[in-house]
Amino acid sequence: MTTSALNETVILETLRQVIDPEIGCNIVDLGLVYGLAIDGGAVKVTMTLTTPGCPMHESISWGVKNALLGLDGVTDAEVDVVWDPPWHPSMMTEEGRRFIGARNF
Amino acid sequence: MPVRAVPAASPLGMQAPSISLPLMFVVTGLLALFTGAVWLVAQPDLLATYHYNQNTIALTHLFVLGWLCSIVMGAMYQLVPVALETRLYSEKLARGQFFFHVIGFAGMVWMFRVWNMKQVGNFGGLLTVGVILFIYNIVRTLLRVPKWNVVATAVAAALVWLSLTVTAGLLIATAKYTATIDLVSRFNPLSAMHAHAHLGVVGFFLMLIVGVSYKLIPMFTLSELQNRRRAAGSVILLNLGLAGSVVAVLIRSRWKPVFALVIIVALALYGRELIAILRARKRRALDWGVKYFLTAIALLVPTTGLALVLSWPGLPLNTFTGQLENAYGFLGLIGVVTFAIIGMLYKIIPFLVWFGAYSRHIGHARVPALAEMYSTRLQAAGFWTYLGGLAAAVAATLCSNAAAVRWSCALLALSLALLAFNVGNILSHAVRPRLTPLAKSSTNRIAR
Repeated sequence: MTTSALNETVILETLRQVIDPEIGCNIVDLGLVYGLAIDGGAVKVTMTLTTPGCPMHESISWGVKNALLGLDGVTDAEVDVVWDPPWHPSMMTEEGRRFIGARNF
Repeated sequence: MPVRAVPAASPLGMQAPSISLPLMFVVTGLLALFTGAVWLVAQPDLLATYHYNQNTIALTHLFVLGWLCSIVMGAMYQLVPVALETRLYSEKLARGQFFFHVIGFAGMVWMFRVWNMKQVGNFGGLLTVGVILFIYNIVRTLLRVPKWNVVATAVAAALVWLSLTVTAGLLIATAKYTATIDLVSRFNPLSAMHAHAHLGVVGFFLMLIVGVSYKLIPMFTLSELQNRRRAAGSVILLNLGLAGSVVAVLIRSRWKPVFALVIIVALALYGRELIAILRARKRRALDWGVKYFLTAIALLVPTTGLALVLSWPGLPLNTFTGQLENAYGFLGLIGVVTFAIIGMLYKIIPFLVWFGAYSRHIGHARVPALAEMYSTRLQAAGFWTYLGGLAAAVAATLCSNAAAVRWSCALLALSLALLAFNVGNILSHAVRPRLTPLAKSSTNRIAR
């Protein structure tokens, strides 16, 4: 893969490899990824976690960085964890909702 | 295809307490729990006869200090920073506390057994040094909390009750071998002991269960606190009810049922809030850890019912009343508090081990989810075995039937063996992590 092949689809596909270990679902389908910015080989992910103070905070953001740096063409990866807007289950994809057996939507 | 676990750099900025700290407390607690269960199987008359004797008091302190305090204190070092979104003040102090805690409680249990109250006081002093370190550490952690809330209030209240429990325990023990503490000898020894027990069980353990669950249950079920005023009301009433109950028990006041009712109202508010949280949850299935916890909370209904009966001023002081008191204490400690903690252990231990074994590999390799680290079948079997054993043990206690107590406690021990097997499964991940390669293509796929 070359740098020019880096696009949102490829990155989201890669981030689907990173799970929230408590819920067992990947962070993309959980709706934790708020935004992506690609600048040549540099990728910045803006994301959140299901709850502030989540004990998996550093592990998950570290995992996102690891996964991105494992992609051919990525030379720099930055992960920005934000709490605004706070995560809500309505942000999950259909796949995510199916996975957790969602209710009350 | 398995992947060899290769060391990777640590996650940037990771400042969480080392997993060995809470694990030391957890392993100590589990050993004390198993020892206590075996002790009950070997000596079932401890439940089948009245509880004011040296062996029952020794066993109770093994359960309360060795099992419950070890687990709760170890878990608090991990959970309080999580629940309150801050960091632990000092890991070094926590390790120091462990030393004083283990020597203190082990010595106390042994000396209660041989009824050497002077040595109970000495070992109690060591335990107290540990408790002071614990309280100081958690208070300093609380002072870092960015936004004070109902969870922080409950944790702070629990620390106050813990300090009063330890003070009362030391005074009671000291009054047994010296005449200098006139204050304690003015009260009936049984009343003093019962007040001391309620300070610890309701003030420390139940207060923490109520407060911390307002954070953890929404987190595990993908829900939110539904009514902050109701949650705050439950914590305030629990404190007021306990303060009144302790004084009423100590002086044998006729107001005991009134304060018991205040506690019941507090717990009813808590139950209503929990139901509202569960109704609003987005995650349909409740995992077994949460089921353990909620069942323990449901056990508050018979436990508080017994409390109300036992608080009645006109209750005759006969053998059956004594057995009701035994059943009440057993249901409170081994039913409500222990069952709730076992449920939470199924969250805490996998997290601790996962954090140590897998957090560095996430993003490099496929790592298991927490629920994949143990057998849910064993967990479910343990749930039903425990409930069966508990119900049978309470019935056998009420009937003063030692043989039935023995068999029902054997059932409880079997459930704990299943727990031990699952804990072994979880710990094995620390020795041999199960890593598999990341999938090459996973568009629209859920990693599991």
